[in-house]
Amino acid sequence: MEFLIDAFKNAFFLIVSLDKELLEIITLSLKVSLTALFFASLFGIPFGAFLGLKNFLGKTVILILLNTGMGLPPVVVGLFLYMLFSRSGPLGFLQLLYTPTAMIIAQFILAFPIVTALTQSAIVKVDPIIKLTARTLGATPFQVALTVIKEARYGIVAGVIAGLGRVMAEVGAILIVGGNIAGYTRVITTTIALETDKGNFELALALGIILLIISFIINISFYIIQKRGIPPNIAWL
Amino acid sequence: MALELLVSNIWKIYDNKPVLKDLSFVFNKKKVYAIMGPNGSGKTTLLKICALLEKPDRGEILYLDSQKRPLKKDINLFRKITYVFPQVGIFNASVFDNVAYGLNIRGFKKKEIISKVEDVLDFVGLSHKKRQNALTLSSGEAKRMGIARAIVIDPEIIFLDEPTAFVDAENVKIIEKILLQLKDKGQSTIIIATHDASFAEKVGDVILRLEEGRFLL
Amino acid sequence: MKKEFFRLIISLLLIFFFSSFASTQQRIITIATTTSVENSGLLEYLLPHFEKKTGIKVKVIAVLVHAKELELKAVKEGWFVNRKEVCYNDFIIVGPLNDPAKVKTSKDVISAFKKIAQAKATFVSRGDKSGTHIKELKIWELTGINPKGNPWYLEAGQGMEKTLFMANEKDAYTLTDRGTWLAVKPRLKYLTLLFEGDPLLFNQYSIMAVNPKRHPHINYEDALRFIEWITSHEGQKLIGEFRDKFGNQLFIPNAK
Repeated sequence: MEFLIDAFKNAFFLIVSLDKELLEIITLSLKVSLTALFFASLFGIPFGAFLGLKNFLGKTVILILLNTGMGLPPVVVGLFLYMLFSRSGPLGFLQLLYTPTAMIIAQFILAFPIVTALTQSAIVKVDPIIKLTARTLGATPFQVALTVIKEARYGIVAGVIAGLGRVMAEVGAILIVGGNIAGYTRVITTTIALETDKGNFELALALGIILLIISFIINISFYIIQKRGIPPNIAWL
Repeated sequence: MALELLVSNIWKIYDNKPVLKDLSFVFNKKKVYAIMGPNGSGKTTLLKICALLEKPDRGEILYLDSQKRPLKKDINLFRKITYVFPQVGIFNASVFDNVAYGLNIRGFKKKEIISKVEDVLDFVGLSHKKRQNALTLSSGEAKRMGIARAIVIDPEIIFLDEPTAFVDAENVKIIEKILLQLKDKGQSTIIIATHDASFAEKVGDVILRLEEGRFLL
Repeated sequence: MKKEFFRLIISLLLIFFFSSFASTQQRIITIATTTSVENSGLLEYLLPHFEKKTGIKVKVIAVLVHAKELELKAVKEGWFVNRKEVCYNDFIIVGPLNDPAKVKTSKDVISAFKKIAQAKATFVSRGDKSGTHIKELKIWELTGINPKGNPWYLEAGQGMEKTLFMANEKDAYTLTDRGTWLAVKPRLKYLTLLFEGDPLLFNQYSIMAVNPKRHPHINYEDALRFIEWITSHEGQKLIGEFRDKFGNQLFIPNAK
């Protein structure tokens, strides 16, 4: 029990004193995850909107694949990327293994299906009358799409936040492709995974607390935005 | 530019029952045409077909320019006609932004948009609500906003689908006033579908009764 | 040095003095050993074989001592006899096949490390405060160079195998114990042994018996029996087969 109290005390001290290593790890975590999210949104939102607006042959297959993608086990993603990027693999010449870039790629793969699927879902939930109204007000097909996306904005942002929540919490993928190299590929989750039993317990604990706080903030944002996104009921309809 | 709407031998069949039977008409004056008929008589269907939102099973819709030449059914034509749905179709944004929508997508400059929108909001009596989220408007207010949104883009033809549906008596009066003022300005052709006889008589220049799939004149 | 030596002798004698009062029905010998050997689990693994074979029970006591010079001095001064070398482990530098820092031609380990730093060649460190890591840090200290913070210095924070795989992927140098290297080598296509042999990298383990002339009451015969056994073909084979919980070979038998 005393061990725990001491550990918490030391962990809090690390946080409050803005320990250099702690900040380095948190900064790298945010850099990697936010960059991955950026690209996941850059490709996922338009693709999700496209899926929500258009019907085409094979669309069901893609939707099923996306849903599978949402539940991809991170370690499996890590494993496949490892096979791809290792020197014995087809993309070994890129020398991406054990770099932050590989981590960003891994997290992109994890976040993309979430952003896409939730965007598609948000788009589909938009009342069809909106599309028609936009058209009758003279919007080009592209403008119609943008208008629908704008109407679905809360749902889309919620999707992006959900993606962020997933990648900030995962460890399997980035541990395998990143290698937890100090100051280079060591992030919050990988530190907790590998440093806990190595006498770096206070650091791991401090990071655990920070991650919980980040997670909490992410979830609150998600909740608020989802709530805001539900438009006030049109009573007279 | 005077736009003429030529409706030629339109047929529309639902479940083997013809809703529109060989209907023909020419809408070519800057007047208010009121298409009347009970619910389910095909008014909305006719309106949608005229507005090119739906295709007829047989027959043709043509828009002719001042030289009586048929216009291509492209975005340029679509931007000359507009349609207000019974549910209006309200964007999750302020009243101002809703009304400004048509101007925004046509690339009008900000200053011009502000002046035009404020004018039309004044015209329909919604200036005091311009910053409010449009989804919180009452049914009458929402309809007025829908009309404002339609007329601010100066269309040649305005289709109004049941403009007094769901609306309380007071707002019906306001809408009647708006339409009469519009009629006076004489800038657009207004084609209304309504089952409200007194409303049609008050605002309509030409009353068309739709019965058994065609007009009784 | 002298104080440590004195302490070593006193503590060992005290141990053997007290243990000699054990029951005479059961044949017992006592081994004093270093913590690293005790921690490695080697004796836990070896001793049952000896006990089963001879019926002699072995008690193990860990004493904080590890210095060849002290051992030899103790023998010279007559405290211990029958010193025999049993096994060793050593560290080696492995690195990329083309050896960009030209480590292979270094005259000692310190200049090898210096060359790596000067060439800014990628070096993967254990970074986990393990024995290997501490040895590596000691060498850096001796070079006068602090590698931490440099982009070419990667701290893996993981075990020897993982560190080797990382070096393999990144065409990097690393310090490794020979045992793990030998075990993993077939899977490391891009690494090769580049430097070995510097005394700094070498750990010799020997065994010796308390001198019966000084302390007649100890169980000298059985102690000899143990020394004989551990340096025999059977004992040496067992030592060579010993693996730690990660499957690494820790000691290389070298009894003559």
